[in-house]
This record gives sequence, C-alpha cells and structure tokens, in this order.
Amino acid sequence: MAVIEGRNLRKTYTLSRRNEVRALRGVDVSIEAGELVAIMGPSGSGKSTLMHLIGLLHSPDQDHGPAPELSLGGRDATRMSDGARTRIRAREMGFVFQQFNLVPTLTAVENVMLAGEYAGLGRRQARERAIARLTTVGLAERATHRPSELSGGEQQRVAIARALVNDPALVLADEPTGNLDSHRSAELLGLIRKLNREHGQTFVLVTHDAEVGAACDRIIRMRDGLVQAMELVREPTPDDVGEAAA
Amino acid sequence: MSLLRNLARRRLRTALTVTGITIGIWALVVFGSMANKISAIVAIGSDYYAGKIVVTDKSGGLDGDSPMAIALVDDIAAIGGVAAAVPGVSTLLDPASNSGISMPDMVVGALPGADHGKNMYDARVAQGRALTAEDADSLVAVLGSDLARKLGKGVGDTVEIRGMAFEVVGILEPTLTAPDTTAIVPLAAAQAIYLGDLPPVVRENVRADQLATDITVYPDAGTDVEALAARIEAAIPNASAMTGAEFDGVVGSSVAIFNAIIVGVALISLIVGGLSVINTMAMSVAERTREIGIKRAIGGSRARVIRELVSEAGLIGLLGGLLGLGLGAVVVYLANEAGRGSGMALFLLTPQTAIFAVLFSTILGVVAGIIPAWSAARLDPVAALRYE
Repeated sequence: MAVIEGRNLRKTYTLSRRNEVRALRGVDVSIEAGELVAIMGPSGSGKSTLMHLIGLLHSPDQDHGPAPELSLGGRDATRMSDGARTRIRAREMGFVFQQFNLVPTLTAVENVMLAGEYAGLGRRQARERAIARLTTVGLAERATHRPSELSGGEQQRVAIARALVNDPALVLADEPTGNLDSHRSAELLGLIRKLNREHGQTFVLVTHDAEVGAACDRIIRMRDGLVQAMELVREPTPDDVGEAAA
Repeated sequence: MSLLRNLARRRLRTALTVTGITIGIWALVVFGSMANKISAIVAIGSDYYAGKIVVTDKSGGLDGDSPMAIALVDDIAAIGGVAAAVPGVSTLLDPASNSGISMPDMVVGALPGADHGKNMYDARVAQGRALTAEDADSLVAVLGSDLARKLGKGVGDTVEIRGMAFEVVGILEPTLTAPDTTAIVPLAAAQAIYLGDLPPVVRENVRADQLATDITVYPDAGTDVEALAARIEAAIPNASAMTGAEFDGVVGSSVAIFNAIIVGVALISLIVGGLSVINTMAMSVAERTREIGIKRAIGGSRARVIRELVSEAGLIGLLGGLLGLGLGAVVVYLANEAGRGSGMALFLLTPQTAIFAVLFSTILGVVAGIIPAWSAARLDPVAALRYE
C-alpha cells in the first residue's frame, strides 16, 4: 500500500518579481509502505522541494496546470491548513535534516522528547520513549549531553532517534550524511537500513551520495524539476514485506 | 527550565534588557511610593478637616500662626449654625531648626473637651493617655510617634520644649503625616510658648491667655458648612475659614500634578522597556531562525512557538519587575530611615504599588514579546531551516 501518492506536483518559488524558480514542473510519485527510497539528482533538480511537499512542509501549486493530488494514507493533503499539516508532521512523520538539526540549548534526550511532546505525549512518557530510541541508536550513555558536546555523527543519530520517537510511518531525511565522513556515513546508513528492515519504517532519503542511493531499495532520479528515472536497486524480498507488515 | 536556558544564552543582552526594565520599574516604585505618601497625608488632612471649619487670621504668614484674639471665639460662637468654637495654638517646636521642605515639628495647644465631642478626627494614643480637661494647667505633653522617636522619649520621661519641662504622658500611633511630628500640650502652655515667638512690640500689649492661632468651628448638624464659612468670613475681620471641601480642592490640584508625574514615569518605562524587550526578542528570533524552523518542521505548532517566546519575554519583564521593586524598596527604606530623624519620611510603599509594579512589567514583557513571537510563528519552516 502506498504511504504517499502524489500527482501533478508543481512548485514555483518567487524569489523576486522577475526571478521565479520552477523547482517542480509536474511530478508523479508513489512511496510504498516499508520502502527505503532515495531521491537523487544534481543541485537544483527539485529533490528537496519534492521532499518538502511529501513532508507537508509546503503545499503544491494549484495553478498553471492540472490539479495536483497528494494523498497520505487516503487523506487529501493539497488544501490542508497549516495546523492540520503540522499535526500530521508531529504524529505521523519523522524528519532528519543535514546539519544543525538539534536545538542547541536542549540535551540529547530533551531534543528527542521534544518531538514526543509535539505529538501529544506527556513528559514522562516522552522521556521513557526518548531514552528507548537513544538506546536504539546506541547513544543512551550520551543522553544528557548538549549537541555541542556530541560529534557530527552522534548528532545525526540523536536526530534519527528524534525522528523515530513517535513510531512514524514515514521518515524523511534531507542529506542525512551530507556532513559526515565516509566512515560515519556508512554507520548511519547501516542504522537506517536496520531500522527499515527490523521495524518496517518507510524512509525517504534525499541525497546526492551514490553510496546512499546504492543502499536503498529504489532511487527516484530528478532533473530540472522532473522525475528522470526510477531505478529499482533491489527487489524487496518476501522477508522484507513480511516484516513490514508485522 | 529551557526558558531560563534560552535567557542564559545571551547573558549580557538579557541582563541589559532586564536592567532597562528594572530602572523603569524602580522609578515607578519610588515615585509611586511618594504619591502614596502624599495621598496618605491628603487623606488624613481630609479626615481632619471633614465636618469642621478652621478659622485663621489671613493677614498672617503661610504657617497660619499669626495671632488671633481669643475673644473671637465668643464672636464666632454667636454666629448662627455654630455648635462649638475651640481656640487652638500651633507654633514651631524649635524655630531655629525649620527644615524647608519637610513637615516641621510643631507644638499644638489643645483644650480637651471644649469641642463637646464634636471632633470626629482622632489621633489614637499608642502608649499612655491623651490629654484631658484636668491637664489644663499642667506641663504635660502627648508626642507624635516620629517626634518621640527622634527625641528618644517615652511615657514618663521629661521633655524640654523651649526651656519648659513637660512630662510625657502619651505617645500617638503613627499616622504617616503631621501628627507624627507634633507635641500636643495644654492650651495655656502653648500660649506661653507662642507669646515668646511674637515680636516684642506685640508681646508687651497682649496676655498669653488671650492668644490663639486658629479657631476650630464645629457646625450644628444639618448646617450648610460652606455657607457658614462664608458667614464667618463676613462677620470676623481678616478671618480665613477653611472647610473640608476647600482643603480637598486646594490639595487636590497638587495631588493631580503628582499623579501626572507618576503616569508619565509609567509611560516612559512602558515605551523604553517595551521597545527594548521587542528588540531583544526580535534579535533572539533572528538568531534562532534555524531552531524555530526545526521545531516547526518536526511538528511544533505556531501556538507553541508563540507561547515559548512570549513566556521568555514575560520572564524578562517579571525579572525586571522584581529587581526594580527590590531596588525601589531598598531606596524607599533607606530614604525613610535617613529622613526619619528630621521627620521627613517621604515615601510609602504599599502592597498595591508593589503588586502593580511587578504585574505591569510582566504584562509589558508579554505584550512586547507578542510581536516578534508572531513573526517567528509565521516563518516558513523550510526557509527557516536553510537560514544561515
């Protein structure tokens, strides 16, 4: 079953009166439950914009073309209010960004708790879950450290713990390995693969790192605001699907 | 807790903003205490004058201590509507130490019982007793609270006033105004003191027991006090008859000016404090743009962003308010202690003023925080995330 279905997705950013960027020119996309998908493409190809639409951070343009469709588990997201989109982001999605991803004044565990509290958890429950997720990413003993006391790789693992705290169906990551060396990057990728396999969580990674793409099930290649190609890296095994359903 | 951590992020800036508010609230507290004091004086004066007419000789000086002939008491008592007329003498306790702005120490001569119970104003006695009709020929005194403290005298002690030794028989409760710096003595003793104040030419031609400086008139029940005052002024040459309404009118205008100053101070601190809170919070929002973007992206609602920033601004206001109140209270206390000796306690910090000052600065912080918080909540999360 598709977690996200999008059709005719367009997005034009107006930088000034005479400078418009047509970031997406009409994209159809479908993300299946349990998939690990990479969106790849050169800078300016529209990959981040696509992720922002999928993540309900922006709404698709309604004008200059056929009506866009964007559905999340059957709900129409094209004309949702900011409040409704915020609630879905809080409860059903997890986000990981490239860098400076954490709130600097909060400790690792408080950063993770924040997402739990946004989703409506009480403080105690949020703390319990946050510690459990930090344990999953192997950072339980660093829970009370501030971001400035953690390495870049550790910070990204805290961000992943935060993205997972509400057991979201969909985790979106924008260049999660962008600031990591190859060793840390491979470690993080291994963690994502593991979570995807063991918990059946759907991951969409925006990246220009070929190694990241190669570790995914499928690559959506973007160019000039359009989907250029879909590449199946590997068939999901019946084993994966079984675990995803579980 | 995270609120405090956010404030601690830019310690100097937070401290400067808090200081700005502190100064404003400090000024509000100090001026407010001064206004309270003046209101208290006015209220007691107003009580004192209520329901009576005080007749003085208007040819005299500002202190109202030019001599009147005591025979006028009978003339006034004969005017229709007068229930009782009581002579009094008030003069400076020590003419050598008249300190310009403060309330001077006074000696007041009273004739207990002469008002036939008409005087509704009563300064309560804290220790000892009040003067009675039996004291008429004795050298006894009831001291105001500040005066007793300044002279270091208690009930049973002897106090020397202008070369005469008085036995202290009572100490008044503090009233926060004139009676606190007054020694009340029998009329005859005050007349003797007052005689000594008069120029030699006058002194030779009068007897002490013919002197008064004021005559307090108690109207009959149901008499129009203003009309009676007019009749007294018409009947008695050079008489100035002050009624309660007149007193309220005279002091009311100066109180209004003072209240305008308080409002002015409050307005200035409102503008300065408000602008500095807006500035501080706007800078915080600019610095934390990325962080706000992250919070919005991972599901923090606009209301939550606003709440966080507004609480932070409110906390700045609260801190400034508490510090301003604390410093203001210290200044009021020290100034009153320093002035107490000379009978010049100029300030009165009431709980209402204290609560108002803190509430005012907190609300100021909150209101000033709303504008930057609102703009932070309107940020596009994606643009905020990319903000460098």
